[in-house]
Amino acid sequence: MRRYSLLLALLLLAAACSGGSTATTSATADTTTTTAAETTTTEDAGFPVTIEAANGAVEIVEKPMAIISLSPTGTEMLFAIGAGEQVIAVDEFSNYPEEAPTTDLSGYEPNVEAIAALNPDLVVVSDDLNDIVAALTAIQVPVIHHPAAITLEDTYTQIEQLGVATGNLSAAAALVGSMQSDIEGMVESAGQLGAGRTYYHELDGTLFSVTSETFIGQVYALVGLENIADAAGGAESGYPQLSAEYIIDADPDLVFLADTKCCGETPDTVAARPGWDQLTAVADQSVVPLDDDIASRWGPRVVDLLAEIVEAVLTLEGSTP
Amino acid sequence: MDLEPVTSREIRTARVGLRLSIVVLVSVVVSVLLGILVGAVGLSAGSVFAELADKVPGITVDSGLSARDSAILWELRMPRVVLAGLVGGMLAMAGAAFQGVFRNPLADPYLLGVAAGAGLGATLAIAYLPDQTQWPISPLPIAAFAGAVLGVVVTYVLGRSGARQFAASTLILAGVAVAAFLTATQTFVQQQNTDTFREVYSWILGALGTVGWREVVLILPYVILSGGTLLLYRRLLDVMGVGDEEADSVGISSAAVRLAVVAAATLGTAAAVAVSGLIGFVGIIVPHAIRLVVGSSYRLILPLSLGFGAAFLILADLIARSVLAPAEIPIGVVTAFFGAPFFLLVLARSRRFS
Amino acid sequence: MSGLRVVDIVVAYNGTPVVDRISVDVPSTSWVSLIGPNGAGKTTLLRAMAGLVPYGGQIEIDRQPIGAMSRRRLSQMVAYLPQRPILPEGASVFDYVAIGRTPYIPYWGTETPEDRAVVEKVLDRLDLREIADRQIASLSGGEAQRAVLARALAQQSAILLLDEPTSALDVGHQQQVLELIDELRLEQGLTIISALHDLTLAGQFADHLVLLDKGEVVSEGDPSEVLTEETIKQYYHASVRVTMEPDAGLSVIPIRPGRAVRRTGR
Repeated sequence: MRRYSLLLALLLLAAACSGGSTATTSATADTTTTTAAETTTTEDAGFPVTIEAANGAVEIVEKPMAIISLSPTGTEMLFAIGAGEQVIAVDEFSNYPEEAPTTDLSGYEPNVEAIAALNPDLVVVSDDLNDIVAALTAIQVPVIHHPAAITLEDTYTQIEQLGVATGNLSAAAALVGSMQSDIEGMVESAGQLGAGRTYYHELDGTLFSVTSETFIGQVYALVGLENIADAAGGAESGYPQLSAEYIIDADPDLVFLADTKCCGETPDTVAARPGWDQLTAVADQSVVPLDDDIASRWGPRVVDLLAEIVEAVLTLEGSTP
Repeated sequence: MDLEPVTSREIRTARVGLRLSIVVLVSVVVSVLLGILVGAVGLSAGSVFAELADKVPGITVDSGLSARDSAILWELRMPRVVLAGLVGGMLAMAGAAFQGVFRNPLADPYLLGVAAGAGLGATLAIAYLPDQTQWPISPLPIAAFAGAVLGVVVTYVLGRSGARQFAASTLILAGVAVAAFLTATQTFVQQQNTDTFREVYSWILGALGTVGWREVVLILPYVILSGGTLLLYRRLLDVMGVGDEEADSVGISSAAVRLAVVAAATLGTAAAVAVSGLIGFVGIIVPHAIRLVVGSSYRLILPLSLGFGAAFLILADLIARSVLAPAEIPIGVVTAFFGAPFFLLVLARSRRFS
Repeated sequence: MSGLRVVDIVVAYNGTPVVDRISVDVPSTSWVSLIGPNGAGKTTLLRAMAGLVPYGGQIEIDRQPIGAMSRRRLSQMVAYLPQRPILPEGASVFDYVAIGRTPYIPYWGTETPEDRAVVEKVLDRLDLREIADRQIASLSGGEAQRAVLARALAQQSAILLLDEPTSALDVGHQQQVLELIDELRLEQGLTIISALHDLTLAGQFADHLVLLDKGEVVSEGDPSEVLTEETIKQYYHASVRVTMEPDAGLSVIPIRPGRAVRRTGR
C-alpha cells in the first residue's frame, strides 16, 4: 500500500510539472456511486441479508463466522474488507494475503463433502465446476458465485456484496471508494501519456495473450495503451495465441510478462529468445515482469497492477519515477 | 478328466443358479453400503442405517442426523452410488453383448464410434453453446448422447458398403475409421477453443459426481430399456458364437440379431456416457472376469455383468474419491488402473495354458 | 423323408457366375455327393441349398419352393455343416449341440425339457454323452466332428448338407464318420447331400454322384459311371486307376506311371 501512495505523490508532482490539473485525492467513505448490490440494510449488523450473485439470490441468515473461499480473488477481497477473521479455510491457490488459511481444497475440482466436513456457513467460489454451487445449495450451505469480473464495476460490486454478506459493509464501501479514487487519480495523471503506445501482455511461454476486451485489457486501456493482440487471429476468444513473428512485426513499445511465477519468464529469458532481441521493448528494457497472481485476479490489487503499468508508461516517456 | 457314468446325471444348459444370484446380490449390497458410508463427512453407520430404515414405508426412525448431513446422504452420496451402479451395470452388459455379437473378447461399444461421437458432441457443446447455466436443462448430456448415436449410425451406414453387408469385421473397420475421424474433429475443435480445454478434458475422463436424483432419473429408462433388451437376447448371443453363416443356418438372421443388439447396447451406453463421461474398461474387464469364473455362456455372463458391473463401478468410484481426498481421481483413470494389471493377468494365464 | 430338387440354379459373386444353371434331383433318403475340382462350385451350391446365398432359379423341398419359406422353417428341414465349422470358445459339448435346437425354440425363449431330451438322445447316439461337459475346443478331431454332426442331428431335419465332413480326419475316422452318417440315413430316413473331394469315399458311400466343373454339371449318375479314368483325367487332370472289387467296393487310386520301384542298396 505504501508503494503506490509514494507513486501517487510523484504522479502529482509530474502532473504539476507538466502543467496538468492538480489531481485531488479525497477518499470519501460514502462513495457508493455505481453499486448494483441489493441490500436490505446498510448497517453492519443487519442480518439476515440477501445479495444477488451469479447464482441468483443468496440469503445469509446471520453474520458468517466460518467462511470458506475457493476463489483466490475472493480471498483477497475478504481479507481486504476486514473479514479475514471470519475465514476458516481457503483453496490451495489463495496465496494472498499470507495469513489466509490455505488448505488443499481445490477450486478447480471442488469436493463438496470435503468442504461440508469443515462446517462452513458461507462459501465463496469463482467457478461453478463439478456443479459445486448446486451441491452446496442442496445441502443448504449458502454459496456466493462471484465469477471473473468483466469490468471494474464488477469488481466493486463483488466487494460490496461481500461486505454486506459478511457484515463489513462500511469497510467494503471504504475500500471501493479508495480504489476508485486511486484509479481515477492515476488515470488522470497518466492517461494521456499512454495514448498511442502499444503493448503485449504475455500469459505464458507459448505466447498466449489477452485482447483489450478482457478485464485486464480494459485496465491497460485506462491509460490509453493499445493492445497488439486485438488484430490477431483468434482474437474473438479474448485469449489469442500469438506467434513470435507477429509480435516482432508489431514491435510493441511495452512487453508485460504475466508468466514470471508460473513459467519463470524474466526480461532476460525473453531477450534470449531467438529473434526477440530485435524488439524495441527488449532493447529499451521495457519488458516488465508482473506478478502472475496480481495480473490474473480482479480484486483490490488491481490498483497495484495499474500502478505497475503506469510506472512502465512513465519510464517509457522518459520521466523517472 | 474322470468319466464317471453319467446315466443319472442331468446335464443342463447355462442358467444363473441360486448360489450365483446370492453372490451377485451380496456384492451389490455390500458395495452400495460401502459407497454411502464412506465420505469426507463422517456419518456413523448407525445413523445411516436409521435413515435407510426410516424410508421403508411403515417404519419411522429418527436417525439423529442434522438436516445438512441428511442432505449429504440423500442428495449427494446415495444418488452418486446409484448412478455409479446404473452406469457400471450398463457398461458391463453392453460390453458383454458386443463381445457376443462380434465374437471378440475385446469388443465393446466404444469400438463402433460411441466414445468418439460422444466426445465430439460434448466438446461442441462445451465450446460453442454459450453459458450453459442459463438453459433449462443442460445441453451437454444431450449433445453427448446425440454424438454417440450418430457415431454408431455412421458406422453402420459405412458398414453396408462392404462385400458382406453388416459382417462383423466390416463393421469394426468402419467403426475404427469413424472413431478416428470424429476424434480428429474433436481435437480440431478443442484447438480452436483452448480456453475450454480443461472442461472438456475433465468430462472425457469421466465423473460420477452428481447432485440430486436428476441424472439417475434421466438414465434409468434407458438402462431398463437397453438392459432388458440385451437380457432377452442372451441365448441368441450364444447362438451367434458359431459365426454368422452357421447361425443363419439354424434359423436366425445373424444380421438382424447384430443390429438389434448393437442398437440396444448403444442406446444404453450413450445414455451412460451422456451423464458420466467416458469411463473405459468396465465393458471389458467385468465380462472377462466373469468369463474366467463361469465360462463363456452369455446366458450367465449378461445378467452377472449387470450385477458385478454395478458393484465394480461403485467400488471404483469409492476409490476415486477416497484415495487422494479431498481431490478426486477421475473415475476413468481408476478403471484404467484396474484394466492394465487385469490384462497382464489374463496374458499370464493364457501363456501358462499355451 | 424329404426330397430336394434344384432347377437352373445360378449363383454369382461380383457378376461372375460360380454356379451356372445347375439342376440336380435328390430323391428322398438317397445320398448324393457333389464332386469336382477346387472352385467347381460345390460349396456354393450347398450354401444355396441352405438358403445362405442369394440365387437365381428354383430350389424345392418336397415340391415346396424354399424361397417362400422363413429361415426358421427352412432350418427345420435342412441342416448345413460347413467345411470349417466354428467351435465357440468356452462352449461345452452339450451347449454346442443344443444350438441345433434353435429352429424350435421361441426367439426369446429357452430350451424346454423336450429340447434337452433330444440333445441327450443325440449325444447318446453319437457316443458323446461321457464328454458332454467338456469344452468343445478341447476335443480331438474325430470327437469334434461327431459333435458337429450331433448338432446337425439335433436340428431333426430330414436333409443334411455336408461340406467336406471328413477332410480334417485321419483315414480311420473318415470311415467311422461316413459309416455313421450312412447308418443314420437308413435309421432316420435322412437325405444326404455331400461335397467330397476324396473320390474313393464319394464312390463308396454315395448312391449318386454329380460331377461339377466351373459351375456346371458335366457328369452325373452311379459312381461307377461317373468315376472313370478318362473323366477324372479330363476334369481333374489327374492320373488314376479305378478299381471295382466285389469285397472291397470302388476305389480310385492315384497312380504315378513310369516310376519304377526303388531298390535299396547301391
